[in-house]
Amino acid sequence: METEGNMAVASQLSTADAAWRSAPEHTLIGSHPTIAKLRVLMERVAPTDTTVLLTGESGSGKEIVAREIHALSRRSMRNFVPVNCAAIPNELMESEMFGHQRGAFTGAALPRHGLFSLADRGTIFLDEISEMPLQLQAKLLRVLEDGLVRAVGSDRAIRVDVRIIAATNADLVTAVKKGRFREDLFYRLQVVPVVVPPLRERRSDIPMLVDFFLERNRDRFDGQWSITREAMVHLWSYDWPGNVRELENLIERLIILSDGPMIDVSLLPENLRKGHCGLAEAQMTAEIGEGGVDLNALVRELEGRMINEALKLAAGNKQAAARLLGLKRTTFSAKLRRCGVIASDTSD
Amino acid sequence: MTQDEHCPEIMVVDDDPDALSILVRYIKREGFAAVEACSGAQCLLLAGQHPPDVILLDLMMPEMDGFAVCRALKADSATAEIPVIMLTARDDVEARAEGMELGVSDFITKPIVRRELAERINAQLDMLAASRANFATLDQLNRSKLSGSKKL
Repeated sequence: METEGNMAVASQLSTADAAWRSAPEHTLIGSHPTIAKLRVLMERVAPTDTTVLLTGESGSGKEIVAREIHALSRRSMRNFVPVNCAAIPNELMESEMFGHQRGAFTGAALPRHGLFSLADRGTIFLDEISEMPLQLQAKLLRVLEDGLVRAVGSDRAIRVDVRIIAATNADLVTAVKKGRFREDLFYRLQVVPVVVPPLRERRSDIPMLVDFFLERNRDRFDGQWSITREAMVHLWSYDWPGNVRELENLIERLIILSDGPMIDVSLLPENLRKGHCGLAEAQMTAEIGEGGVDLNALVRELEGRMINEALKLAAGNKQAAARLLGLKRTTFSAKLRRCGVIASDTSD
Repeated sequence: MTQDEHCPEIMVVDDDPDALSILVRYIKREGFAAVEACSGAQCLLLAGQHPPDVILLDLMMPEMDGFAVCRALKADSATAEIPVIMLTARDDVEARAEGMELGVSDFITKPIVRRELAERINAQLDMLAASRANFATLDQLNRSKLSGSKKL
């Protein structure tokens, strides 16, 4: 049967998947206790064939977890089909997922397989499941319940054997309460709930991840890189709102930007260099950015820094520190308490 | 199953009684239970008897400094996994580097801003909650004896 569209996707998929399989480095990296526990859970859940719901921030590694579960399952020799539900326009989603018959709608000149058919006997990874339109959620629920998919425009349902791993970075419980996500589908998906923690909660894995990404780029960019201890400290101190993906992208950028084999602090983006120096240095200018400023917080921050500095200069003597700031001892003590400044330790 | 509703226990370790009382007040205001330790030795003793959820550890202490305490905590399997947040007046790279290499979970530079303190503690509590949730899932799987291609 002649088909369009997805067959091209299929061939890309198999190439991409073959490359993936031969690249064992695409695994969850880290030795933090929370990752060790997650790994045990992944190994336990992989061979069971049950639906899994992954929850975690964007970039935290949900797809890697899904791929590992697939790789550890008896489906590993079949397709792993990743689908980003937020990236497919609503009107196309049903046909993308379940395929369509010739002439099912304007422009459907040839029949097309859906992603569920591509994933037959394999695994489908439905990322950002919370973005799936309600009408399609009903159809997904049916697939989960009886394993049947019906192409758009077809009156015949076909049976597929697909393991579903869904993922979300949004709070699905809230989406259910607001009526944006079907409650029955939610319960059906979260048979095995798995939480993937954000990077800032497992900071101790950052050095290992940095080394891993540097090493992985060796062949790709034909060179060898390492990072200074100071630069590593900055990477370790940063909060990584974009999680592992943000770190991965940054390392790649640093490699491209670096002149030699050593990556030092000067190459790091400004927000990262200042990440742990508090607000002060970054914001003590009189500039007001698009988001505005929190003047009270800035004033408190400056006050705190001044008090701390004075205490340091005065070797912890509050009377002397107060004098340095032109304050009365009592005012100084009150500020000390209010700002939450805790005198720098002078005990050793 | 784990206790979902348990009040998180934060151990505060500081030799300076003023600093200790301010920190304890902050901790309590955030709705956590505070355990006080005024020295590294006391921290090790208390944590060994009853591991808290998170330890806030001052770096500069006489006799045993924060790094030594952290090393001892990490060396004992009973306390190795307790997240340690290091508090320091020194924001030098060397101190952070040493903390990083010792497996410290986070670092806060004084002056301590209450909001930042709460955020850093909450990040560690969220991590613990994620671990507990995953453990509960694992436990449920093991109880259900689910294996092979059987479906739940």
